[in-house]
Amino acid sequence: MTLISMKSTIAAAALIASVGTTWADKANDTLSVAFTKELENVDSYFNSSREGVVMQRAVWDGLIYRDPVTNEYKGNLATSWEWIDDTTLELKLREGVKFHNGEDFNADDVVFTVNFVAKEENGVKTQRNVNWMKSAEKVDDYTVRILLKDKFPAAIEFLSGPVSMYPNEYYAEVGPSGMGLKPVGTGPYKVTEVVPGQHFVLEKYENYHDSPKGQPSIGKIDIRTVPDVNTQLAELFSGTLDLIWQVPADQAEKMAAMDGFTVANESTMRVGYLSMDAAGRSSMEPNPFKDAKVRQAVNHAIDRKALVDNLLKGKSVVVNTPCFPSQFGCVTDAAVAYEYDPEKAKALLAEAGYADGFTTEFYAYRDREYAEAIASYLNAVGIRTDFKMLQYSALRDLNMKGEVPLAFLTWGSYSINDASAMVSQFFKHGSLDDARDDQAKADLDIADSSTDPAIRKEHYAKAIARITGEAFWAPMFSYNTNYVFKTDVDYTPTADEVLRFTNMAWK
Amino acid sequence: MANTTVDPLLEDITGPTPGQMLRRRVFGHQGLIIGAVVVAVLLVIALLAPVLAPHDPYVQNLAMRMKPPVFLGGTWEHPLGTDHLGRDYLSRLIYGARVSLLIGVVAATISGAIGTAMGVAAGYFGGRVDAVVTFLVNVRLAMPVVLVALAVVAILGGSLTVVIVVLGLLLWDRFAVVMRASTRQVRRREYVAAAQAIGASTPRILLTEIMPNVLNNLIVVVTLEMAHAILLEATLSFLGLGVQPPTPSWGLMVSEGKNMMLFEPWLVLIPGAVLFVLVLAINLMGDGLRDVTAPENRS
Repeated sequence: MTLISMKSTIAAAALIASVGTTWADKANDTLSVAFTKELENVDSYFNSSREGVVMQRAVWDGLIYRDPVTNEYKGNLATSWEWIDDTTLELKLREGVKFHNGEDFNADDVVFTVNFVAKEENGVKTQRNVNWMKSAEKVDDYTVRILLKDKFPAAIEFLSGPVSMYPNEYYAEVGPSGMGLKPVGTGPYKVTEVVPGQHFVLEKYENYHDSPKGQPSIGKIDIRTVPDVNTQLAELFSGTLDLIWQVPADQAEKMAAMDGFTVANESTMRVGYLSMDAAGRSSMEPNPFKDAKVRQAVNHAIDRKALVDNLLKGKSVVVNTPCFPSQFGCVTDAAVAYEYDPEKAKALLAEAGYADGFTTEFYAYRDREYAEAIASYLNAVGIRTDFKMLQYSALRDLNMKGEVPLAFLTWGSYSINDASAMVSQFFKHGSLDDARDDQAKADLDIADSSTDPAIRKEHYAKAIARITGEAFWAPMFSYNTNYVFKTDVDYTPTADEVLRFTNMAWK
Repeated sequence: MANTTVDPLLEDITGPTPGQMLRRRVFGHQGLIIGAVVVAVLLVIALLAPVLAPHDPYVQNLAMRMKPPVFLGGTWEHPLGTDHLGRDYLSRLIYGARVSLLIGVVAATISGAIGTAMGVAAGYFGGRVDAVVTFLVNVRLAMPVVLVALAVVAILGGSLTVVIVVLGLLLWDRFAVVMRASTRQVRRREYVAAAQAIGASTPRILLTEIMPNVLNNLIVVVTLEMAHAILLEATLSFLGLGVQPPTPSWGLMVSEGKNMMLFEPWLVLIPGAVLFVLVLAINLMGDGLRDVTAPENRS
């Protein structure tokens, strides 16, 4: 034990010493940033992590841009767009834009990119981001049409988010793996160095077009992978890092009390929830979660306000819906809210025939602390938990097989401000659907495919009422992110958990 | 007062009895006394945990998170402060002693039984038995304990029982090696030959002639392996693959405090220090017992 902590201290010291020589600060116009996780591939279509989204927004551009503050859609690589019919979108492209390698941006690039990513066999990681598109066709050099498979009201939102444009000639030549090692886009920063597992170096793209993202100000961004929060903090103290993010609330609180650092807190779209095996897919026998009373008891057993106030802190809020409240269609009034009432939880368990409680496996993949606190609340009403902490991919596989009776999970909706990105992901009989409820699915089907906002809202509301009334989930809280940076960095984080380097400057 | 004259020669001959000599050696050995007292105290604390713990170690109070211990400005309500979920640190330490000692004792017993049986058999019979045992010991030594334990626990899931059984089944190598060597030394002694000559059965020879004379080595290995098992449990729990929360375990406490190490180092230092003291005490006791019981010290 002592040996392990000693080893990590030595490792941390060695790391600090080794990077101490690469001086990074305002004088050198180099901002050093830490990522906790490694990227499997820098190519934004071939990773599914938050860090990948950050890189994507810096290196590439989408056709459309959503202002993260006003939520207004603005043209980026496209200057205007209109619906020809329900499934055809015509876009006029911006002229005079060049990729980092000098290639001109025009309709061929859009057609190539869309046709490549929309093809399932090309293996884009998050199919939902692209599988609503059928193909694209060129009208002239600066006009394209994107054809949809079906009506898809969130198309503009997706085009302004995960769908970014790649250079056709270069991508055809190097493919995803080449793009991952030597990324080329039109974005405000060009990648000058990729050392997998160690760092990425981004440099200001001098010829960046007049984009709503704004012009880059800081000359160089050095992003290093530093997995341990304590090491990140130590490097921040020693001056080898300038900005860290996703800092746990306790540490952020301590940092806020110190001189020389700015601590900013912003909410994120990530929602934490307990998923229960309502459909009885797991091998648990008897399965108490098939009974709505037991699921309601779980909802009543947990003091979510105390979790938010003492553990998550910051801008987190208690969530009653199976979606993030700001998302379109996430009608909070429709949701049944369950107040903290352990006595009522015990009474409901007794009514369901579990007066003495029961024992269940309880899975989690992140935030062990929150999961432990939740387990402790469940234990207090008689639901004994056999706690199991797994890697995300392992838990996801287990969940897809329907082997998980109770789990603490989270979903970040890829920062897409539409309820379909969360509630429809989990309640339409997909492999991750623990409820398999026909009524919820029927309403979601209508809401997802209608282009009339009023109809969409009405049916999302119905689905949310059904899901929360039956207590298929126990929605918990929204997450927040703490950003800690040196006071000479000027940055105001946005509410979508995306670091935007263009919005950063030296003071 | 009349008949008090003692023959000076007789006084020379009688001297202290063997029992008195043993007591003198025990009480004259500082390490043994210190180690034994500390282990005994921790044992009593573990056994009396429900009486001694000021709070329920499982009850969380999120409004009272990470309150400092009394010597860092805390209150006597929580003498050693509270953990990241507002649970009383002292109570968790006290209950954690149960986990550590239980794992130490049971794992050392299981591995001791396996290793001693193999070692004594190999040492006494020699030949093919010896070759087989030596082969098994080599196989076992070729496997890194932590890695194998991690793999097994990852497959079966972490729990107290799994950890105890896995450690018990892994830590027998030193028992086998030491018992084999000591048995080989002892089996050529005259008293073993004498027992064989009067027709004593093999089990009888092993139990009454061999075992008592290799016991001192066994005790040292038992204590070493106990300490080893306790540290390994802490390592596994630290890595999240040992005892699962909310069960209080010292390794788990270190792991849970790790995130706040920069700002609240006592969260790591307190369970780390207790672990250190226990392992040191067990080792001191083992060394002392070896010194006291070693045949060369008896004369």
